[in-house]
Amino acid sequence: MNALEVQGLSYDYADGTPALKDVSFSMAEGERVGLIGPNGAGKSTLLLHLNGILPEHPASLPSVRVFGTSVAEPHLTAIRAQVGLLFQDPDDQLFCPSVWEDVAFGPQQLGLSGAKLSDRVARSLAQVGLSGYDERLPHHLSRGEKRRVCLAGLLACEACLLALDEPSSDLDPRGRRELKELLKKLPVTQIIATHDLELVVEICARVIVLDQGAVVAEGPTSSILNDESLMLAHGLDRPHILRHLHPH
Amino acid sequence: MHIPDGFIDVKTAVATGAIAAVGLGFALSSVRRTLPPRRVPLLGLSAAFVFAAQMLNFPVAGGTSGHLIGAVLTAVLLGPSAAILVMSAVLILQCFMFADGGVTALGANMFNMALVAPVVGYGVYRLVDRIGGAGLRSRLCATAFASWCSTVAASIACAGQLAWSGTVAWGVAFPAMAGTHMLIAVGEALITTLVVAAVTRMRPELLLERSQSSLQARYRELIAYGLLVSLGLVVFVAPFASHWPDGLRKVAANLGFEQRAARASGLSSLLSDYTVPGIRSAELSIVIAGCLGTVMAFVLAYVLARLLTPQRDPGANTKPGGSSPLASSSS
Amino acid sequence: MHHPLLNTYQHQRSPIHRLPAAVKLVGATVFVFACLLLPRHGWTAFAVAGVALLLTAALSRIPALQLTRKLLWVEPFALGVALLSLLQTNGFQVFVFTLVKSTLCLFSMVLLSSTTRFSDILHVLWRARAPSLLVTTLALMHRYLFLLTDEIGRMLRARKSRTFSRGRLNVWRSSATVIAHLFVRTSERAERVYAAMCARGWKT
Repeated sequence: MNALEVQGLSYDYADGTPALKDVSFSMAEGERVGLIGPNGAGKSTLLLHLNGILPEHPASLPSVRVFGTSVAEPHLTAIRAQVGLLFQDPDDQLFCPSVWEDVAFGPQQLGLSGAKLSDRVARSLAQVGLSGYDERLPHHLSRGEKRRVCLAGLLACEACLLALDEPSSDLDPRGRRELKELLKKLPVTQIIATHDLELVVEICARVIVLDQGAVVAEGPTSSILNDESLMLAHGLDRPHILRHLHPH
Repeated sequence: MHIPDGFIDVKTAVATGAIAAVGLGFALSSVRRTLPPRRVPLLGLSAAFVFAAQMLNFPVAGGTSGHLIGAVLTAVLLGPSAAILVMSAVLILQCFMFADGGVTALGANMFNMALVAPVVGYGVYRLVDRIGGAGLRSRLCATAFASWCSTVAASIACAGQLAWSGTVAWGVAFPAMAGTHMLIAVGEALITTLVVAAVTRMRPELLLERSQSSLQARYRELIAYGLLVSLGLVVFVAPFASHWPDGLRKVAANLGFEQRAARASGLSSLLSDYTVPGIRSAELSIVIAGCLGTVMAFVLAYVLARLLTPQRDPGANTKPGGSSPLASSSS
Repeated sequence: MHHPLLNTYQHQRSPIHRLPAAVKLVGATVFVFACLLLPRHGWTAFAVAGVALLLTAALSRIPALQLTRKLLWVEPFALGVALLSLLQTNGFQVFVFTLVKSTLCLFSMVLLSSTTRFSDILHVLWRARAPSLLVTTLALMHRYLFLLTDEIGRMLRARKSRTFSRGRLNVWRSSATVIAHLFVRTSERAERVYAAMCARGWKT
């Protein structure tokens, strides 16, 4: 069974503009896939379909299945625990008064309490390297720390598929390095929407290229990203890290 | 207009607290009933927005600056019940986190700024907007006048509370508060209208979204709030205003028709404690000044609305919230 | 944007900081009500109250300068209204009495706000079964307070870099536009926060 299966997913914005056109792909368990494409390609919109936030009105035929379950009612509560969506702006996701409460939010909604809850929170914070941050206030954290708290919140729900929207954007080099190491360590299936092509080369075995809502290419990272004409045609560029490895 | 502790006595604190609690409770249940779930976070974020907006300086004259209160702005953008909730939240935060406004005065401050201001403001707004035909200009004129009225009304309520507590004599509190706030309110009107005009330009759909309740339900709501506000005003203002008829009666007698004044009988004896040095004879002039000020405020509101609305052909399409693509101001 | 009062939380350890929030909240409120009930000539009572506050302030280890600054920041309005109280019979007495009472109460509330996190106060409200919609609103407001004031600060700085005429009218117009922008961004953020809350299973 595939971790994620998307079949013929289409979506239009409220004003009628098509956002996603017949998107189809799948992911095996434990894979790390990069989702790349120019601005406005629909990457964020696609990720929002993975846990049922979109479409606003349920489609007649669900196009997304996570570990065999359709992303639609009545499975949505379970799906949202399984699919951890990391939002682009950590400030949108870190809405609780303290770090501990925010990480605990998900498991609490799932019914955890007491010692079990505290354990779960402590473990998740440890996983992202933020033990001891329990009482910290969100607005005192750096962007990288906020991102990691958000990740901890997703891990606390025992997510088995992580959907990450631009996780390394506006991180300083150290923050980026720490994030990269963290994502490499996590044994969870990951789909990473990003402009950071170096990150994709470093940790993703496969990439999907999205442009104007449609999948235009899919395949192993090195072959796709080395295809300079393909990259340029879709508003991307061949990452420097590959230029250095394969000088032409 | 945040009243600190020590200016409101216990009976006023309890009375205002009770009315404010009822008003807030009603607003909460109304919001829960009518606001779609996806707008719930907007309440908290709007409260943060109001707080942040209140911190902006609007230079007035020689170093002084004005600040937005935001009651009518919130009411126009979110509706009256949400506005009551949002303003209450801001006041609660200011009281407990910044000691801005006393804890015993919280009831009074909530009554003035989270109940009277949004309710009076919204009521005036809907009335004027309806009379004006619900186009952009009428909405802006309504916003301006409503903001002015709401601030003045809140200041009068505040004066009443100070007087009822024995801190400041009514004869001093009323002209001082109402007088100064009639001027301050012009600033509030100007800022609120400019903001509403800008939001209409940027995102007209934000102003068109209304809660899911029917027209009837909304009027019922407004009437309920109106009653609550009136109750408060009857308690805090009417006893003092009851000596207006002395001046008015003279005029009535001269003009030869009967005058019926609402006299709160038991409380009028309290009034003998309050000497109104030299002002008694000027009561009538205060009333006249107040009426003139109100008329002037309306005229200014109309002028402002005209200035902010681009010129249009009389027969052109004026969908509410529609505006010219060229902004007249930019940051 | 650095508002002088926004850094109210002292991450200090003191006997007062360690007290449960409920105790401090109730204590401060009771103290304030008690001050209101003091008779006009109860100068001994005032003195006792004052000493009690000074002791608490000392125990809380908040720098005296900070406390004084906070007291002074909010005083002007109180002074203004108090001056109005002079214009009545026994005016001077009322004036002094009001000012003393008010200062004592204010001191108490400043101590409360400096030693108690607002989120702890929210917890107290939550446990006391305050309406959940109110608590959620207060919590979200508190969480996004600093973010929005920062945003507004950034927008003001951006505006300053692009404004060449200092006319008052211009300032008013651009300030209003800044506020309008902030509202639009706030609305958009609210939608995203809603999505984030749903994404983690929030049930309304």
